[in-house]
Amino acid sequence: MILRPTAALGVLALCATLAAPSVPVAAAGDTILFGSAVSLTGSLTKEGHLTQEGYEFWKTYTNAHGGIKVGGKTYKVDIKYYDDESKPATAAQLAERLIDQDHVNFILGPYGSGTAFTVAQMVERKKIPMVEGNGAAEKIFSQGFKYTFAVLSPAKRYLEGVLDIGKHQKPAAQTVAITAASDSFSQEVAQGAAEWAAAHGLKVVYNNKYPDTATDVSSIISAVKATNPDIILNAGHLQDALLVHKGLKEQNVPAKIYGYSVGPDTPDFTNSLGKDANDVLGGAQWSDAVKYHGDPGFYASAKDYAKAFEAAYHHRPDYHNAESTAACLAFQYAIQAAGSLDTEKVRDALAKLDKTTFFGILKFDSRGINVFKPMVVNQIQNGRLVTVYPPGLAEAKVKYPAPPWGQR
Amino acid sequence: MHLLAQDLVNGILAGGILAVVALGFSLVWGIMNIINLAHGAFIMLGAFITWQLFTSFHVDPFLSLPVSFVVLFVLGYLIQRYLINWVARAPVLTTFLLTFGLSLLIVNIALLIWTGDTRGVTTAYSGSNFTVAGITVPWAKVYTLAAALVITGVMYMWLHRSKTGRAIRATSMDIGAAQLAGVRVAQIFAIVYGLGAGLAGVAGTLISLSYSLNPAMGQPFLIKGFVVCVLGGLGSVEGALVGGLAYGIVEAFASQIDLTIGTQHISGTGLQDAVALVVLLIVLMVRPTGIMGRATA
Repeated sequence: MILRPTAALGVLALCATLAAPSVPVAAAGDTILFGSAVSLTGSLTKEGHLTQEGYEFWKTYTNAHGGIKVGGKTYKVDIKYYDDESKPATAAQLAERLIDQDHVNFILGPYGSGTAFTVAQMVERKKIPMVEGNGAAEKIFSQGFKYTFAVLSPAKRYLEGVLDIGKHQKPAAQTVAITAASDSFSQEVAQGAAEWAAAHGLKVVYNNKYPDTATDVSSIISAVKATNPDIILNAGHLQDALLVHKGLKEQNVPAKIYGYSVGPDTPDFTNSLGKDANDVLGGAQWSDAVKYHGDPGFYASAKDYAKAFEAAYHHRPDYHNAESTAACLAFQYAIQAAGSLDTEKVRDALAKLDKTTFFGILKFDSRGINVFKPMVVNQIQNGRLVTVYPPGLAEAKVKYPAPPWGQR
Repeated sequence: MHLLAQDLVNGILAGGILAVVALGFSLVWGIMNIINLAHGAFIMLGAFITWQLFTSFHVDPFLSLPVSFVVLFVLGYLIQRYLINWVARAPVLTTFLLTFGLSLLIVNIALLIWTGDTRGVTTAYSGSNFTVAGITVPWAKVYTLAAALVITGVMYMWLHRSKTGRAIRATSMDIGAAQLAGVRVAQIFAIVYGLGAGLAGVAGTLISLSYSLNPAMGQPFLIKGFVVCVLGGLGSVEGALVGGLAYGIVEAFASQIDLTIGTQHISGTGLQDAVALVVLLIVLMVRPTGIMGRATA
C-alpha cells in the first residue's frame, strides 16, 4: 500500500475550511466591525444559531436604516463570526484572533455562560468592550471585570417565576425537586431556585447535578420519582430539557408543574416532544408579550420586533434571538452616547447606559449585569407558547396542575 | 432497595445502547488499529436517516434499522477503500487526524442539510412503560436492548462461522499470514470499516428513540464508546456487550452515591463519568486487556 499524504492533507484542508465557516469582512474605514465567536457546531449549535440570527437581524436593520451616526460621521456595521464549537477554550482563542488579527472594534458575546466567561477574561486583558446577551451566570460578573456587560437577567432568577406560580395555585405546590446540569449557568439557576424555594416556604426534596455531557439521566429521574415532588425543575439547556422530559415520561413521573430554564421557548422543544410538551413551563428572558416602549433607533415594541423578525427568519423570535439583538442595541446606544469609537469611551458609556428597548430596560449594575429587567414565564398550551407570568403581562391563565402522562 | 433495583434496570437498559455504540468502534480499532474518530458522526447519520424516514414516510425506527446499516456500511466501505486505505499503515496519529477531519466534514455537511435544529423521533410507544414489582420499565428501551442483544449475537456468529468473518479474525491476528493464506487484506479492511460504520448507524437509530437529535449529537457517544471498548476488550464482540452493560450499571449506581464528609456534600450524580473512569482504571490494572480481551502480539 502506498502512502499518499498529500491527498490526505488535501482532505484535511477541506475539512478545516468547512469546519470554520466565516464571513469575509472588509475592515473599511467607514464600517464599525464587531466580532463574535458563536457556537455554530457542538452541543450548543441551536442556541448559537439563534444568537447569530439576533445579531444579523440588528445588522440588517441598522444598515438598511443608514447605519450608526458617530460624532457627525455615519458608519455601516458588520459582524465577523467564528465557530467556537461550543467549547469555552476555543471561544477565548477566537476572541483573541478577532481582536489581534481581524482588528474588530468591539466584541459581541458568544452563546452560553461557559464561553462568555472565557471570552470575558480575554476582552478584559485586551481592554475591548464586550456586550453579551447569552451568558447569565453571575460567576462572570463577580471577577471585577470592567469590559463585559450582559443585557440579560442573572441566572439565579430563571426559575423563580415558575416557583412563584406553583406557590399561588390551589392547591398550592409544596415540594420541589431540582435537577441541574453541571455547567456554571445551570448550577446558578439551580442554586437560585433552591434559595427562592427555601425563602418562600417551599420544601426542596431533591437537588442534584449531573454531568453536562450526560446521555442518560434515568437514574436521576428514578431518584426524583422516589421523592414524589409537586414541582420538578430542570436547570440546563435545550438538550437537558429534552433528555429530562423524555425520561420523566418513560418512568411515568407525576408532578403538578414541570419547569425548565432553557428549552420550552425554542420551537425544537415542541417539535421534538409533540403533545408531551404541553403544559410545560419555562423561565424566559423575554417574550413577544412584554409591553415595553423602546427608545427611538429600533423597533419600539416587542410585537413589532417579533413581526419583522418572523418575516425575515420564518420563525417566531425566541428570547435568545431577542437578547442577542438587545446586546447589539446596547452597543448602538453606547457608541452614540460616546460619540466616538474609542474603546474606553464606549466602555464608560456602556457603564452609564440607561435605555428602554423592545427587550426591556438596558442598564447595568456595577458588575456589568442587567439586574433591572424582570424575567417572564411561558407555558406551552396546545402546542403554542404563551406568556403566563408575571400577572401584568400574562396572555393566558396557567394550566395547573399538569395532566397525567398520556392524557395531553 | 427498591431504588437500587430500579437503577440496575436503568443501567442495563442504558448499557445496551452503549454496547452497540462500542461494537463497531471496537471492531475497527481492534482489527485495523484505527481509532475511528468519525464513529460519532456515523452514529449521528444513522439517527438522522431514521428521523428522515420517520418524518417523511412514517417508517417505524426499528424498520429503518436495516436502512441505516446498509447506507452507513456502503459509506464506510467507500471511505475506507478510497480514503483511509491510503494511510492505513501510517502511524496511528495519521489515521487519527484523517478520521477527525472526516468527522468534521460529515458533521458540517449534516448541518447544511438538517441545520442545527434539535429534533426527536417520537413514536406512539415513546415513553410508554410497564411496571414490575414497583420498577418502571420503558418499552422503547426494552426493544432497544433486545435489538442490541440480537445484533451482538448475529455479529458474533458471523465472525466465528462465516468465511469472511474468519478472514477478518485472521487478519486481526496476523496480517502477513492472512495474506499468505489468500485473504485480500484491503478488501477485508474495507468490509470491517463498513461494518463499523454500519453498526454506528444502527446505534444511531436506536439512540434516536430516547435521545434528541442534532448534528453534534455523536460526540458524547464517541467518548463513551471509547471507554466501553477499552473496558470490554478491543476488537471483541462479547467485550463490547459486557463493557457496555458494565458501564451502564456503574453509571446508574454511581448516581446514588450521597456522602457528607465534614461540611462537604458529595453527590454521585455529578460524578457519574468520574466513577465510570475509575472503574475503567481498576479494570485495566487488574486486566490490562479489558474484561473480555485477549492478549495480542
